[in-house]
Amino acid sequence: MNKSQQAPIIDSEATVIRIEGLRKSFGTLDVLKGVDLTVLKGENVAVLGKSGSGKSVLIKIMVALLQPDAGTVIILDQNVHDLRGKALDALRLRVGFSFQSSALYDSMSIYQNLAFPLSINKPKMTRKEVDFTVEETLDAVGLKSKMLQMPADLSGGQRKRIGIARTLILKPEIMLYDEPTAGLDPVTCAEINALINQVQEQYKTSSVIITHDLTCAKSTCNRVAMLIEGTFLKIGTFDAVFQTEDAQIHDFYEYNFIQ
Amino acid sequence: MKDNQEPSAVFSNSLDAYFIGVFRGFHFFLRFFKSVFTRPFHTREIIHQGYEIGLKSLSLISLTGFVIGIVFTKQSRPSLEDFGAVSWLPSLMGIAIIKALGPLVTAIICAGKVGSSIGAELGSMQVTEQIDAMEVSAVNPYKYLVVTRVIATTLSVPILSMYCSFVGLTGAYFNVHASENTGLRVFIQNAFSGISFLDIYTSIAKTVVYGFTIGMVGAFKGYHATQGTRGVGKAANEAVVLAMFLIFLEEILIVQVSNWFRNF
Amino acid sequence: MIEKSNKRAVIVGLFVLVGLSFLVAGILMVGNLHDTFQPKIKIVSLFPDVSGLKKGSNIWFSGVKVGVVSGLKFYGSSQVAVDLNIENKVQQYIRQDAKVKLSTDGLIGNKILIIYGGTGAYPEVVAGDTLEVEKTFTNEDMINMLQANNENLLEITTNFKTMSTKLAAGEGTIGKLLNDNELYDNLSATTHALHKTVDATASSLNKASAQAQQLLASLNTFSAGLNKKGTLAHDLVSDTLVFNSVKSTARQLQQIADTARVMVATLQTASRNPKSALGVLLYDESTGANMKATLKNLESSSLKLDEDLEAVQHNFLLRRYFKKKAKAQE
Repeated sequence: MNKSQQAPIIDSEATVIRIEGLRKSFGTLDVLKGVDLTVLKGENVAVLGKSGSGKSVLIKIMVALLQPDAGTVIILDQNVHDLRGKALDALRLRVGFSFQSSALYDSMSIYQNLAFPLSINKPKMTRKEVDFTVEETLDAVGLKSKMLQMPADLSGGQRKRIGIARTLILKPEIMLYDEPTAGLDPVTCAEINALINQVQEQYKTSSVIITHDLTCAKSTCNRVAMLIEGTFLKIGTFDAVFQTEDAQIHDFYEYNFIQ
Repeated sequence: MKDNQEPSAVFSNSLDAYFIGVFRGFHFFLRFFKSVFTRPFHTREIIHQGYEIGLKSLSLISLTGFVIGIVFTKQSRPSLEDFGAVSWLPSLMGIAIIKALGPLVTAIICAGKVGSSIGAELGSMQVTEQIDAMEVSAVNPYKYLVVTRVIATTLSVPILSMYCSFVGLTGAYFNVHASENTGLRVFIQNAFSGISFLDIYTSIAKTVVYGFTIGMVGAFKGYHATQGTRGVGKAANEAVVLAMFLIFLEEILIVQVSNWFRNF
Repeated sequence: MIEKSNKRAVIVGLFVLVGLSFLVAGILMVGNLHDTFQPKIKIVSLFPDVSGLKKGSNIWFSGVKVGVVSGLKFYGSSQVAVDLNIENKVQQYIRQDAKVKLSTDGLIGNKILIIYGGTGAYPEVVAGDTLEVEKTFTNEDMINMLQANNENLLEITTNFKTMSTKLAAGEGTIGKLLNDNELYDNLSATTHALHKTVDATASSLNKASAQAQQLLASLNTFSAGLNKKGTLAHDLVSDTLVFNSVKSTARQLQQIADTARVMVATLQTASRNPKSALGVLLYDESTGANMKATLKNLESSSLKLDEDLEAVQHNFLLRRYFKKKAKAQE
């Protein structure tokens, strides 16, 4: 199934993310060499690229975990790297980030993992409200039964879903997924892809999905962007991007599907 | 790309890395004082960490303190016997344990036990992106992870140290009582005869500093862990080594400073 | 940009490290500077022997630390010039006739210098002054001197004993001399005078013997104290050499006292009896002279003994005992 044709909720007038001329280098290694990207409201955009092409760096710069050397990232009309303290926290509450490794707090149970950001950011919520929200969110990812287990007891796919649930619990307007399907079997991948689509519809989010998995990109994203050697070679619908004679993009495509 | 390698190093790469480490440590240290007085305070987490750090070290401290009390008493006796001054033993033990051994032994045990566990815990949270995860969910990880642990160690180590001194003196008493038949009251009177309030304040101040050091170094090393699981082990190891080094340095400095007060 | 911030981090890190090192070094040094900031004057003393005094040893005045030894230099053939750094604020209390002696801090502590004495008659010390050193007696010195004294005393008293025995027996030329009336008349006045002298001597001897007895008693008590096992003094003196020496001293003193008592008794009888006294004096003119000299020796030796006893009292080993005794007397 190709998702990019159906775009029922995209508001082409509203830009939620605008990245311009982003550069970042580590020591002598230039990872990003001028990256531009725009994400519309309600849109899912995939950033495709090989490992080490700077996809993760890009997404970490977007939530200010890393500082860029040059360029701007404007999310929800705010320049992310000008924000400090409370203002940055306020923006971060509106942006969900799902980590490649899920990054669940292993010392906490699933319930505590989900309740933790709530208890810190919304201290006025009563215990009952927290319980309700946690259950609701776990229900959304289909793992309500695991509420009292520890992260170590879960499978990789389940951990990923809990990771997504943990970001969803703050009701973000933008979701950033870092390799949501990495290291998972095809069946679980499909489940995660379905979840990403479900989130887009249910929570009305715009998303950036960092992945090297074309199936995931194809089934979840309205547009894809090919990141090769630090710049976007091509941005457009999945078919538009891969109906090209560019050798690098072609290689990437071939390799992915043969594998 | 290769060209800008040369100007990037101020001295040499390894020396630069060292100074950057110092800078980070300094920054980390200042950040504590910036964060500690602002909301939220995470009181519940402080209590939880205090429980983890304090109560779980109690059995080890008890055993070590007691053994040290007995062993030091036993080892000191022959030299005092040479002068026929065995009756000074309680006073000597009082001074040795309250002023030096109790705080130092507690600090070293805590550096080994608590410092390494903080280093490893925060280190593994760092390498598995849990700290980043906190950051992006608008939780200040420094406040939640570092400040709470540092406060917990700063409060628990003095308490553990007092307890260690108490247990050590109990051990000393058992040994003195067994050999010289000294009564408890005489022992207590003698043990505290050489101790002034300044000594006790100094001891407490010392342990507060030690506790702060242990928490701070453990958290710093963990917070800046890199290189995956290997970095976790390295962070735990370095936390212990650096904390012990600093503890001994601080011991010298505090003794020196307390001696100024003694002159007033 | 990353390079710039790295550079800044390196430099700040370097400064932090240097700052911390200065702080640490400062804290460690200020304790010593504490004294360094005090203005000082330097005075000098010449010692024949400093018994292990070191640079940095404390200097006490009336039991208060007033400075430190700042240097030791050899001076001349066998002397040591000791520089004393004295705080300015105590300068006014130390007079130029004050003396310096070596001592120890506590029973087994470090060597210290003690400044003592000094009278208002002299001006206060100024930088560069030399303070006189008083020779202090080491244990060994004291016991050696006591021994020599004892030997002298023993010899003297033995002589007297022989003499007085002969006198008492009335043997030898005494009889002949007794018959010489002219001589008797001539010497009658002299005898009278001598009578007085003898009396004085006797009382002096009495005193000496009483003192000897006192010393003996003291030594007895002390050695009894020494015998008590487990005391510090016992351990210190269980060095048999010293102990035996003290013991033999005590025994000899006992003998001296006995002999002296007998002698005094004899002498007294003899002097009460003008005839026998005359006999003593007329026995031989040279004997008379000898005796006079002997008496003088005896007197000076008893004086020396006095001094020794004084020294014994000040010796640190026995000081505690004497203090205790003085207290007991009070």
